[in-house]
Amino acid sequence: MVENAYDAVVVGAGGDGPVTAWKLAEAGLSVLVLEAGPFHGNEQWPNPHEEPGGEASSSVEDLSGDLLDEQFTTRELEMITNLVFGPADHERGFWFRKFPGDGAILQCAGVGGTTLHYTGCHPRAYPASIDEQGHWPIEYADLVPYYREVEEMCEVAPAPVTAKEELFFRGAEAAGWDLIEDLNVTEPGYRPQPNAIRQPDEKLHVDGDYDGEFTYPDVEGDTLALGNIAGNPHPRGAPFEEKAKRASNVSFVPAALRTDNVTIRPNAFVTDVLTETPRGDTPTATGVEFRDTWSGATERVDAEVVVLAAGAIETPRLWLNADLPENDWVGRGLTIHFGDNVMGLWDGDDLEETIGKPTVDQHEGQDIAARLDYPGVGMLQTVGTAPGIGAILGFGASASGFAFQNDPADAPWDTMGRLAGSDLKRLLSDYRRMLQVLVVSDDRPHQRNGVSVAPGASDEHGPIPIVNYEPSEGDRKRRDELAETAAEILREAGASHVHRSDSPPTALHVHSTMRMGKVVDEACEAYDVDRLFVADHSALANGVGGANPTNTGQALAARTGEKIVERHF
Amino acid sequence: MVTSRIGAWLTAARRSLTSTVGLLLELLGIGPDVDPHTRVTFRAIADAVVPETPALAEEIGPEHVAGGLAIDLDEFAITYVDDGFQFGLPHLGPQGNIPIADPIAHVLDAAALTLVERGDNEAEPSLDRALSLLGPDDPSAAKTEDAVGPFAKLSRRDRLRAIAILDEFEVEFTPTDHDLLELDAGLVGQLVVGFMEMIYYSEWQGYDEFTQPPSRREHPNDPAAVQSWRQTGFPGFANGYAALRGYVGTADGPLGDGDAWTTIDESTGVAIRREPGSFRENEYDTSGYEEPFPVESG
Ligand SMILES: Cc1cc2nc3c(=O)[nH]c(=O)nc-3n(C[C@H](O)[C@H](O)[C@H](O)COP(=O)(O)OP(=O)(O)OC[C@H]3O[C@@H](n4cnc5c(N)ncnc54)[C@H](O)[C@@H]3O)c2cc1C
Repeated sequence: MVENAYDAVVVGAGGDGPVTAWKLAEAGLSVLVLEAGPFHGNEQWPNPHEEPGGEASSSVEDLSGDLLDEQFTTRELEMITNLVFGPADHERGFWFRKFPGDGAILQCAGVGGTTLHYTGCHPRAYPASIDEQGHWPIEYADLVPYYREVEEMCEVAPAPVTAKEELFFRGAEAAGWDLIEDLNVTEPGYRPQPNAIRQPDEKLHVDGDYDGEFTYPDVEGDTLALGNIAGNPHPRGAPFEEKAKRASNVSFVPAALRTDNVTIRPNAFVTDVLTETPRGDTPTATGVEFRDTWSGATERVDAEVVVLAAGAIETPRLWLNADLPENDWVGRGLTIHFGDNVMGLWDGDDLEETIGKPTVDQHEGQDIAARLDYPGVGMLQTVGTAPGIGAILGFGASASGFAFQNDPADAPWDTMGRLAGSDLKRLLSDYRRMLQVLVVSDDRPHQRNGVSVAPGASDEHGPIPIVNYEPSEGDRKRRDELAETAAEILREAGASHVHRSDSPPTALHVHSTMRMGKVVDEACEAYDVDRLFVADHSALANGVGGANPTNTGQALAARTGEKIVERHF
Repeated sequence: MVTSRIGAWLTAARRSLTSTVGLLLELLGIGPDVDPHTRVTFRAIADAVVPETPALAEEIGPEHVAGGLAIDLDEFAITYVDDGFQFGLPHLGPQGNIPIADPIAHVLDAAALTLVERGDNEAEPSLDRALSLLGPDDPSAAKTEDAVGPFAKLSRRDRLRAIAILDEFEVEFTPTDHDLLELDAGLVGQLVVGFMEMIYYSEWQGYDEFTQPPSRREHPNDPAAVQSWRQTGFPGFANGYAALRGYVGTADGPLGDGDAWTTIDESTGVAIRREPGSFRENEYDTSGYEEPFPVESG
């Protein structure tokens, strides 16, 4: 049952919202979490994409590993279609956002939010991006205790090595980079990913001749099959909380429910923030209005504190659509880690020599398990994908037309651009002998980039987000430097062909649209609205240096939970 | 001007889209499923993005010949884009989904005209080429002739060139009286190339019926049922692999432990070790940090 009033209401059960909810509930507050998308793996919603199901879930007993197994098929097209930001009802399409060029924003709806797609990479920010780039009003040291807490909850550990990681490490070592063994990274070098995925069962060693089932309880922990982007349920057969990937639905949601102070209501899209202005000019948040995405009915709920955690696109959209004070930085300063893809292709004989078998087999192992850190510039990471996602991320889009239109004569890659036709088919016929490297650059917040709304361009929840993103020259240089570094590593690892996508801006990591120091203060409370907090990646003051953002988003959300209690309860 | 021409196409497309009569018929399930112009144009897209490639037979094997048309990729793509986006405004389409296959086809025609106008096409447009894309179940060539637009008449390469033209500009974004947005040209490229490739190389072909509710979808998870899996060598989705080699690390470092399974570099001592380890909670100092590249103010 959803009540009319709570101590706190949290908007969004994505990567970060459940962390704050857990902190508040641990402190004894009553918390309602409203989530626009469905709740997978919960007995209240046995068919979450087909029927409205229950109203809300307040008990960890509702969580079911079997249902998660059933609903997370790991089939790539199906899971993307089910998880991408849109209503639970499978007959209805994605919620529309406007993004420049032929780039796209990839976010999910549902309890777990975009961590349902995420590959579990959980590094910390580069300390310099917080202490030296001038964007943050707090210090890296302030975050360290929260990093530790989050890393423990998510069981962050060095990722295992399979053939594709060994190939990358050999290339990085040969290209002269050093191995980094630290959590706090200040110098460039390569590392295993700090992944929020349980390490694999030792039985799965290549020398072990394992020929049993890859299901629980025969194996525990990671099973070394791709599937994170498609909502990894491995090991199949495991109870909900024994799933290897510690996405927020598996890590923080059960912890929050276990306090008995948290209610999660999915299929609830928040459309307004309610305020009162009892004295002076600064309004105080008093609750929210939300819409049931199945019935269309709207409801209101009162709260002592409202926490926005709808992600870095929808949080500013909600602010802009609600009757809240204007602030020049609401929605502005968007960073997306302006990315690119560089792909290497190998001859079987060469692979045999480097990694002892004629194929890379990117479908084996964790999706993303090896990285190169480059503070001040960004990072690189290897990516294993099933062929469909690989095709769209790596080859289907480019800012420089089709490969046949480009002549990269002096470039460190053999081909550049979008691939289609026989070029595409020829290349993908080598799927098992290729490895992609994702370029993730440390793009900086610029006020021109961000989210706005226009009256009239509306959907059922009000004016839709219109996103602008135009990297600066420095952002482009950082990205080029990383693409060249990737090409060199792939060559050193023996690749016979290197392809660069020159991807259009594509937002997998989305942050800094409600920046600390500009829109919210050091406790992440809005300067212009009392008792209104932001606890998602939009509160990050920049793109944390290009490191995968979720560890930092969650650490900050944990800190914000504590600050809320200190200030208002 | 390219922009104004595309703008005009879009306006026309929008008008046809919001025509109340058309929508009403569609909602009632009357009227043609797929407009013949849209059908031919989507065949032309599928045929350009994932073509039949007889030449690859000798080069890499006979399984690489068949393309998207052999498995009705065009038909699925129309369904996917028509059901794919949601405004949730009941007057805009079934379930609030906004059908965009027709406007996409018109935008591609506009791009094709621009290509030809610039003289950037390598081959002459040809009606016969377009008609040869028809399948056995399609209406006869005589009936379809009028429906063939400029895009479908281009050679495969020229179709791709036309799509690339769409990347050059962003269609003016103007909300209209009907809460409907003009279609974004960049999105067209993403849908007809990126999504087309994702669908083709995904598991899609193996379903009995993808539009079934998720709980009723059956998939054999077998390359025998998925042409693109046979072409990529993807073995299907697995529950796991015994593929662990170990953990990268050095002999006295914390990342990995135990015997070296293989050595990455003798001189630095980096190896793949048998046992797992952990990262080091290290002291850090950023005082020497220098920006490697210039930084503009926000
Ligand atoms: C393919 C992919 C792989 C990734 N891999 C990694 C990785 O390995 N490591 C990493 O750090 N990051 C990764 N990311 C990014 C990471 O998932 C996100 O940065 C993170 O989930 C963001 O957390 P968030 O809380 O800000 O937003 P989200 O996780 O997006 O959560 C926002 C939630 O709010 C809900 N919501 C939105 N609007 C409303 C509303 N009005 N009312 C109610 N609810 C609403 C949404 O449905 C969603 O559940 C990846 C992303 C993608 C797409």
